[in-house]
Amino acid sequence: MLAKSSSFSALHEENAELRARLDEANEMLGAIRGGEVDALVVQSADGPKIYALQGQDAENNRFRGEMLAQVSDAVIAADSEERVIYLNLAAERLYGFDASEALGRPLSEIYQSRWPQPEDRAVAKTILYKCGEWRGECIHILRDGREMNVEAGATVLRDTTGLSAGTLSVVRDVTERKRHEDEVLVSEVRYRRLFETARDGILILDPVTGKIIDANPVVTQMLGCPDTRLVGKTLFEVGLLNDEGVGHDMVAELKRANQIRFETLPFESPSGRRHDVEFVANLYSENDRPVIQCNIRDITERRRSEEHVKLLMAEVNHRAKNMLAVVQAVAYQTAKFGDPATLADRLSGRIGALAAGQDLLVKSQWQGVEVADLITAQLAHFKDLMGARVLADGPPALLTAEAAQGIGMALHELATNAAKYGALSNSEGRVRIVWQIIDDPKPTFSISWLEEGGPRAEASGRRGFGQIVMGRMAEAAVQGVARITYGAGGLAWTLTAPLDDALASAKVGP
Amino acid sequence: MKGDGTPPTLAQAMRVAAATDAATRYVLRLYVTGSTPHSIRAISNIRKICEKYLEGRYDLEVVDISQHPSLAAGEQIIAAPTLIKKLPLPLRRFIGDMSQTDRILLGLDLREAAATASPTGEE
Repeated sequence: MLAKSSSFSALHEENAELRARLDEANEMLGAIRGGEVDALVVQSADGPKIYALQGQDAENNRFRGEMLAQVSDAVIAADSEERVIYLNLAAERLYGFDASEALGRPLSEIYQSRWPQPEDRAVAKTILYKCGEWRGECIHILRDGREMNVEAGATVLRDTTGLSAGTLSVVRDVTERKRHEDEVLVSEVRYRRLFETARDGILILDPVTGKIIDANPVVTQMLGCPDTRLVGKTLFEVGLLNDEGVGHDMVAELKRANQIRFETLPFESPSGRRHDVEFVANLYSENDRPVIQCNIRDITERRRSEEHVKLLMAEVNHRAKNMLAVVQAVAYQTAKFGDPATLADRLSGRIGALAAGQDLLVKSQWQGVEVADLITAQLAHFKDLMGARVLADGPPALLTAEAAQGIGMALHELATNAAKYGALSNSEGRVRIVWQIIDDPKPTFSISWLEEGGPRAEASGRRGFGQIVMGRMAEAAVQGVARITYGAGGLAWTLTAPLDDALASAKVGP
Repeated sequence: MKGDGTPPTLAQAMRVAAATDAATRYVLRLYVTGSTPHSIRAISNIRKICEKYLEGRYDLEVVDISQHPSLAAGEQIIAAPTLIKKLPLPLRRFIGDMSQTDRILLGLDLREAAATASPTGEE
């Protein structure tokens, strides 16, 4: 019974299978008759042969398909539901899909698009369907996550009635080009920034015409005109060279030696100010196109500083020699006139006075010394008495270096004398130091040391070194006249000199 | 099952079970001839059917015999487009642009799944 049932089941199964095959055969015939197939396949000794059933259109389609297959750019077509209906070999390679895998899939499964701006997607779509085509760039994200910069062109496919049937896109991978463009852009930004923030002026010239191609802000500032007015002009025309011939010679020399350097090139700015510039020109090649780059450094301040240093060195040399001569004379005179027991003290005091004046001169870079500062320095030992028993009064007045030295030594001698024998030797004597500038009848500077309340002063029969310092030396320093009088309350000393010889600047404060 | 009172055979029962078994993997191969209208429609239609009724459990290979006619050998391909269901057995073939969804679903033994997805059995 079981065997009979099994046999019946097998027969039933076979029968069903045969029926299914028959149905398939009928369906096939019906489909061919109904025009639902595009091609017939006939098996031959050489293998299957394909016979298209749609005449010339099918042949044209095949021809177009073969053409597209050869195109190096990716070609991908999608139907109106954005499903892939065609992709060529280049597209298969680009997106990493076999045609068999990709056909019929939604386009979004082949790649995702990313746009520079979110709204760009809608704009592109609008353009595509309004104009029938769109061209542009965006990023395609592949299924493995890689991003690819693409340049794409899309056109609308239309059926025989003119209705949109899908899109055909031609896509080119421009990732490498984009990367290169980005690198060029970064480089351009970086070196443009260097160019524009450089502290030197930079000019780029065309060696053929000798005309300016580009100029950085320092040059425009130096030459006093915007780069738009510099471009297209020669170095002569913008005032950097005072001879047009030099410009031609420079280009010729550059072609020979590749570099030219002018250590100091004088030129006058539009404001009339004279500048010294260091000028270096080099011949370079930019993509096989020669250009001249000129680096221009304004060295006016540096030159001025160098000149000043030179002047100072000469002045220091002169002053040092002068000072040594003065010290030598002071030592000799101190030894000659003074008491040998006090020689060291007196010599030390006098050299100290010289040094105090020197300090002030160094501080002012040898420009001069204010009278008030000189008094403070020379009477440093009496600073407790300043403002009480020693009063100084006069206008701002900047003594020359020589006047400061002569008057400083005199003040030292006067103070030493006053402390020993004069108004500062007792407890109630006072000293007034006054100085003034007199305009009439001719500009004159005078300074006085006036003692009062001290012991009577009397002229010594012997003319000591102190008197020489207060008299002849002070007079020699300012081309002036010194007068010493001896009174009941102490000594009075006045030095009068032509203003120009005494003061570093005739222009004095109020 | 067939509605005529005949008890289902073992093979029929297996087919129904396979159609309703979400783990059964379908292996399909569609033979087309380039970008001809019926081929394009066939590709699009079978993809839609697969995505709707066989999501995640099908392999569809599209073979363009216009580029490589030799690929038509061995499968007894007579016309294109032709879809062949290689797995699950039995092997079945369909001709045309795959627009007759009911017929395709029946041939793929997916009528039960279609009835579950759409009570009317319509697309």
